[in-house]
Amino acid sequence: MNDADVLVTVGSGGVGKTTVAATLALRAAMEGQGSMVCTIDPARRLANALGLEALGNKEAKIPDEAFAKAGLLPRATMHAMMLDMKRSWDELVERRAPPDKREKILSNRFYQALSTALAGSQEYIAMEKMWELHEQGRYPLLVVDTPPTAHALDFLDAPNRILDFLDNDAAKWLLAPALAAGKFGLKLFNLGGSYVAKTISRFTGTETLQQLADFMLNITSLTESFRERAHQVRGLLQSPSTAFVLVTAPMPERLDEAVYFHTLLQQNKMRVAAVVVNRVHAPVPDALWGEVARLSGPLQAKLEQTLKENDRLAEQDARGIQRLRELCAPTPLVLVPRFELDVHDLKAVWETSRYLWGDATVEGVGPVR
Amino acid sequence: MIEALSDKRLLIVTGKGGVGKTTVAAALALDSARRGLRTLVCEVNTRERIAPLLGRPEAGAEVTSVEENLWAVNVRPEPAMREYALMVLKFESIYSAVFENRVVRYFLRFIPSLQELVLLGKILYHLKEKRSDGSFRFDRVIIDAPATGHAITFFSVPQVILDTVPPGAMATDAAWMRDFLVDRAMTAVVLVSLPEELPVNETLELHRQLSERVHVTSAAVVLNGFIPRRFDDAERASELSPGLQDVVRAHELRAALSVSCQKTLSTLGLPLVPVPRIFTDEFGRGALEQVASHLTGAARP
Repeated sequence: MNDADVLVTVGSGGVGKTTVAATLALRAAMEGQGSMVCTIDPARRLANALGLEALGNKEAKIPDEAFAKAGLLPRATMHAMMLDMKRSWDELVERRAPPDKREKILSNRFYQALSTALAGSQEYIAMEKMWELHEQGRYPLLVVDTPPTAHALDFLDAPNRILDFLDNDAAKWLLAPALAAGKFGLKLFNLGGSYVAKTISRFTGTETLQQLADFMLNITSLTESFRERAHQVRGLLQSPSTAFVLVTAPMPERLDEAVYFHTLLQQNKMRVAAVVVNRVHAPVPDALWGEVARLSGPLQAKLEQTLKENDRLAEQDARGIQRLRELCAPTPLVLVPRFELDVHDLKAVWETSRYLWGDATVEGVGPVR
Repeated sequence: MIEALSDKRLLIVTGKGGVGKTTVAAALALDSARRGLRTLVCEVNTRERIAPLLGRPEAGAEVTSVEENLWAVNVRPEPAMREYALMVLKFESIYSAVFENRVVRYFLRFIPSLQELVLLGKILYHLKEKRSDGSFRFDRVIIDAPATGHAITFFSVPQVILDTVPPGAMATDAAWMRDFLVDRAMTAVVLVSLPEELPVNETLELHRQLSERVHVTSAAVVLNGFIPRRFDDAERASELSPGLQDVVRAHELRAALSVSCQKTLSTLGLPLVPVPRIFTDEFGRGALEQVASHLTGAARP
């Protein structure tokens, strides 16, 4: 992870991905590499942990007091921001669309759907932001926390899906007469009250198709820049100075997703720096079993049950981790233990980083690297 | 079964990813079927887990009987779209001629939320289906709903369609769906949470958003993975090695967190069922039965 200037954290929801992203940025700042963590999660807790009221769509510097409170003295600055989806899309249109098309695009219902609901649009805008921040070059390390994707493909496929939406042969064919006429308002289904058109409109009503046609005509002005950007983003994701950090938790269903994600990243020629297994239960040390054996009565029974439960969790985790290690080889696995309390301040974020960099390890779960 | 759910035809089980939604949905389905209700449990376009949890092969995209009174299905977008189209068009030949046309495919893909509409539409359609004797094919449908953020989007779909699409077959269906979802006599949402700070906050937020944005009311909360207290004051004060003291402290800390989460969730004013954490090697049928017995009140944590 040390030689990357862009780190992308990926994984499913509820595994501590955002915390890991913050950890990576904090570690860099501590070691003298200025950093920026960009998250999608409306994680108010993370904001508070970082000493900020809330994370906004603008970059904010983590205040010195927050570090001081945690007893940390960073050698470079750390910034954080939270991506506001809708606003980022609007800004993108405002920046790129020709002035006469902006309003038409922004007020179109299909644009509303594109910017909020279309599968992959959240992922796309995250990548767009990553590109923008990377181009500005203000941060030696950029950590991008991706949306918790239900399906790994949504993420990798996002630029393609958006392009597909904007630039589709089928759409061109439908729109050709209108484009040739060079004006809007031309009835799309001048194509004929054709069989196909009539059938579609039985589902949607003709107006819907008309709106979609208008949207396509207006957004065409942006297609070229979207295509260029999608290409650039892909280049950045595949660049040797970009690395992915795959975050997972040791439950079986999470591990399956992690393996699937790992495979996809590799197929797409993207570098996975590490698989972080978060919230690992360590096995009970032998010494404790010995101590319990010397007790008696109900207290002994209760302690024994508690240790058994702990061990059961640890065994499950160890089995999962072993499988993950085999299936993701040779990508290194990094284990972070389950902390008794959620990570809720900079100090705890720092504590997590000690596991990521191997200063501390989870005992008894086998070799980590 | 939890009183507030016992007379509902549609149960929506939702919560943050990893809180055990699927387990709770499966346990509710098991209980429902045992009470003699013909029950269909639906997973939505995901890696299927419910039928395997019950010790059966995966059900797939077709409604499949898994045991007496219990059916399962994993609703997939393409087959659902096909079924939906066939329902509107009535004829297979028209379907092939029109829906296999790439232009049409393009449009259908990008009509906002059409995919979600057909997924939800298929699930809700099963609530309307009748048998030859005129009774409902399924007395109850249980949805293992997508995780939080996606759930809001998913259940907002009928309204989004109504706002976007002018009157037509789609809009009519969307209106029916919306009305069913907001009907308190028919539909109940079960929120699943874990005794940890973030999931609990997210549950409160989900409850708020579901009622404000989708206008569906949550009817019950299941607090999964509850850790009951184990060591009394005397035991905590007794002389133990530092290692064992840590074990006691860690357990009681987790138990205290469970209690404080329970307290926070109780501010919702909904029936709240704690389901104790189950320690087992393989989470399968046996564990599921345990969860079910807690949900039905047969076991007390």
